[in-house]
Amino acid sequence: MTTTTLAQPVSSPSPRKRLVSTNTLLLWVLLIPIVIVLAAPVWYMFSKAFTPEANQFKYPIVWLPDPFSLTNFQTIFGDRSLPILRWMLNSVIVTAVGTFLVLAVSSLSAYAYARLEFPGRDVIFAVLIISMMIPSVLQVIPTFLIARDLKLFDTYIPLWLVGAAGAGTIFFLRQQFFSIPHELEDAAVVDGAGRFRVFWQIALPLVKSALVATGILIALGFWNELFWALIMLNAREVITLPVGLLVLQQGGYVQRGMAFAGGFIATLPPLIVYAIFQRQIIQGMATAGLAGR
Amino acid sequence: MAATQALAPSVTSRRSQRNRWKKQLPNYLFILPHVLIFAVFLVWPIISSLRISLYDWKIMLPPDQQKFTGAANFTALINDAVWWKALEVTIRFTIITMILNIGFSLMVAVALKQNFTGRDLFRTIFFAGSVLSVSAVAIIAARVWDPQRGILNYFLTDVFGLPRIQWLGTAQTVIPTLAITTVWWTFGFPMLAFLTALQNIPEPIYEAAKIDGAGQWQTFTRITLPLLTPTMLFVVSTQFIAHMQMFGQAYTLTGGGPGNESRTVWIYMFDTSWRFFRIGYGAAMAVVLAAIMIVVTRVWFAVFRNRFEY
Repeated sequence: MTTTTLAQPVSSPSPRKRLVSTNTLLLWVLLIPIVIVLAAPVWYMFSKAFTPEANQFKYPIVWLPDPFSLTNFQTIFGDRSLPILRWMLNSVIVTAVGTFLVLAVSSLSAYAYARLEFPGRDVIFAVLIISMMIPSVLQVIPTFLIARDLKLFDTYIPLWLVGAAGAGTIFFLRQQFFSIPHELEDAAVVDGAGRFRVFWQIALPLVKSALVATGILIALGFWNELFWALIMLNAREVITLPVGLLVLQQGGYVQRGMAFAGGFIATLPPLIVYAIFQRQIIQGMATAGLAGR
Repeated sequence: MAATQALAPSVTSRRSQRNRWKKQLPNYLFILPHVLIFAVFLVWPIISSLRISLYDWKIMLPPDQQKFTGAANFTALINDAVWWKALEVTIRFTIITMILNIGFSLMVAVALKQNFTGRDLFRTIFFAGSVLSVSAVAIIAARVWDPQRGILNYFLTDVFGLPRIQWLGTAQTVIPTLAITTVWWTFGFPMLAFLTALQNIPEPIYEAAKIDGAGQWQTFTRITLPLLTPTMLFVVSTQFIAHMQMFGQAYTLTGGGPGNESRTVWIYMFDTSWRFFRIGYGAAMAVVLAAIMIVVTRVWFAVFRNRFEY
């Protein structure tokens, strides 16, 4: 501290550099404990996933597998009533199809409300806006009854349609369509392109980053959905990973190691996907967060 | 004379209007898929919830054989001690979680706004928790808070010699414990929202403040916070809506216990409807919770829209 103040009058670049690094150091001291608090429990789960059941409750706490073993995974994969890979596949299907459906349905609508003219457009859009103010708690019971009457239990259709019914994505994408210049679209219309072609080939590519941003939010929602999956899905082969993890902790399966192994299997893929696409995901979340203002 | 003259243009305009309508008709195809889904899975359920809440609805009977009971479900709520407990638990959880989540995420966002080595890495790590599912969070958190073998109590008792705490096991601690778990899991999103907003504040404003001799705290409270108001409104309302409808954390970690100390409205509604099959009573709970949420958000927006107009 004294050296920096002393050095200041002599030359400007070098103390500047040192000042920045003091700042960096200070922030590190502040932020690294937070990283530890966030990461330690996850690390603990990972290490316990590879620890045999007998050593699960070793005390004081051991932060590494002791000894390293794959027995927990062998028990899960060996138990036919716990098809965890099937659950993961189910979750992937729910997430992939659901995200695609919501984006397709919402971007079509958003484009129409932003660019096309038809009687009643503003009235319908106003209804959508009002619907956004109504909490989803009101959807729960009747949707369950509808799904029962349409014989949709143990299918993913209710999960997808409940996801696609909301107007939030439309509202967000409509603003994105407003923000792109419509000269390009006008030129295409003059050239005789149909409305759908203009939407598909010109407008949609221009809002690609916004689509990715909301797509990530939507995908996260489907991947982590617990409540709707809990009331709609019953059969062991059709449940999704979040419900399956609860099964791992129930009844005859109170083996700690298995729960941790299941948690490991459920946690690692999203973390890897996140690590690979973190730039796009962070950017996307920031865009979505900013648009929310 | 005047009438015939006036008629001619109106006929053509009507015809051109009809032509325009015909041309605009295909535009409805764009909104049709969503409008259908919206009608069946959002509008109808909302109306239906209001209706079911007025019935003693039996899950096995068809709609025309349900018994209309008027406001009976709502008067039953008034006399239901568990309901009042659920409401209290939900509101307490919402307030504690919002304060912790907003305070913490704003603090981290302010730190990450600085330019320093490793900033992007920190940002990436801080958001990582948000990709976990609530069930995975529960597996992890159950072991963190475990009174006998938990990570936290290990440090409290074995390292610092403090008494053991039954984190999820007592009326006083269960809600704060669930709130901290929720912050651990979800603070990434408000953090990113704040961070983006902070980065969009033009630097010259800060330079001007510095020239005027404003201190760091003064700059934060007088410049940064007011300029964050739109983002704050957004974060507060999304947080409020999310936490008032809390289900997963308590369902997976405590099942509503000990006693009813973490039985949120959503869990009570779930139990009432799916364990005891009192659908009408469950719907009444949903209606009251929704009404409370709508009123609070409306008031909130009305107050802040007027107070901060920039």
